[in-house]
Amino acid sequence: MNHRHLLPDEIDLLVDDEVGFGVTPLKAHIRDCSHCRAQVEEARSVVGTLEAVPHFSASHTFADRVMAHVPVFVPWHVTARDAVAQWLPRSRPARLAVAGLATSTAFVLTVAIIWVATQTDVLVLASSAAGDQMQNIVYTAGRDVLSTVFGDQMFALIQRTGTIGIAAALLGLVAAAGASVAGLRALAGISSRRRA
Amino acid sequence: MPPALDLLNLPDADVVALAQQGRDAAFRELIRRYERPVFSLIYRMVRDRELAEDLAQDTFIKVLNHIDRYRPEFKLSSWLFKIANNVAIDHLRRRQLATVSIDGSPNARTSDAIEATSFDVAGQQESALDELEARELGTAIERAISSLRPEYRSCIMLRHVEGRSYEEIAATLDLPLGTVKTYIHRARHELRRALEHVREGTE
Repeated sequence: MNHRHLLPDEIDLLVDDEVGFGVTPLKAHIRDCSHCRAQVEEARSVVGTLEAVPHFSASHTFADRVMAHVPVFVPWHVTARDAVAQWLPRSRPARLAVAGLATSTAFVLTVAIIWVATQTDVLVLASSAAGDQMQNIVYTAGRDVLSTVFGDQMFALIQRTGTIGIAAALLGLVAAAGASVAGLRALAGISSRRRA
Repeated sequence: MPPALDLLNLPDADVVALAQQGRDAAFRELIRRYERPVFSLIYRMVRDRELAEDLAQDTFIKVLNHIDRYRPEFKLSSWLFKIANNVAIDHLRRRQLATVSIDGSPNARTSDAIEATSFDVAGQQESALDELEARELGTAIERAISSLRPEYRSCIMLRHVEGRSYEEIAATLDLPLGTVKTYIHRARHELRRALEHVREGTE
């Protein structure tokens, strides 16, 4: 190694303060060779000058100008977490109390849901009875309206014709009501024109 | 309202995680941390303050608008420098501004504009003579940097101004490691030659 000057790559190794077996003989060489030592020192001087160059500052409005083009999007889970965190107390004991309360509530709700699920038969029976009751109320009210409008004899006839008769009667009722409304509006219009 | 965060002491990866959660302050902290290095890199590439601000702004906008794509196994700074280098190189290629003057922007038309776009690298020396020498050396090094090829310039800036390793520079600039070493070696060599007369004058 000592019989020749350092190659550019070897000078770079020393300038970069590399370590390893290969560097030891290079260091030994520059101790003896003033030419190579000067080369390394000159290279280090350039690197030192480079490392001392300053950073430049952008204008003070730079961040605002960047942020004007960056839409900040808050993901839904963060919004939800923040909303929950807003309601949580800061102190540890209070948080523990809230956690205990939430756990108890969750436990009671779970037990209640399981109990309701095991009572399916009762629920079906109750809902069926409620449905029958509602059907009876609607049927009775409809029958009363029809018998009042058409009279008992006509209602008996409609009842005999079944669903089609009932539908036709209801249609007639709606048509009559519509015609009445239209007639009344026409009369009102004529009356107002005459007054004018 | 989320609790106040001490962003200054958090590592980049944590600040990025907060930015991904939509914290405005985290975005601003990332800008604060890297505004100067990114702006300096671009400024030394394009040598026009206004243009460098626009390109640095583009760099941050690109990075921050895709912050959800950031992977913590990589350095945020490498990502930023990569984008910054790309926008600067793209601009230089478009405008064919391979080398520009240290004495002001080529776009500057008036003496005020030339002065505004010129480098002002002041040293911290005690005497006026020392300061003059430091200014001379500072101007000379900036002139020498600006005379390098753009690819040498970005490599040497990342290595010696930003203190990046060869491997990081290779990853940042998408260059083979050997190419980075060659570029840096050549850049140092050119800088040595360019600074020889300054050093001789100050010795």
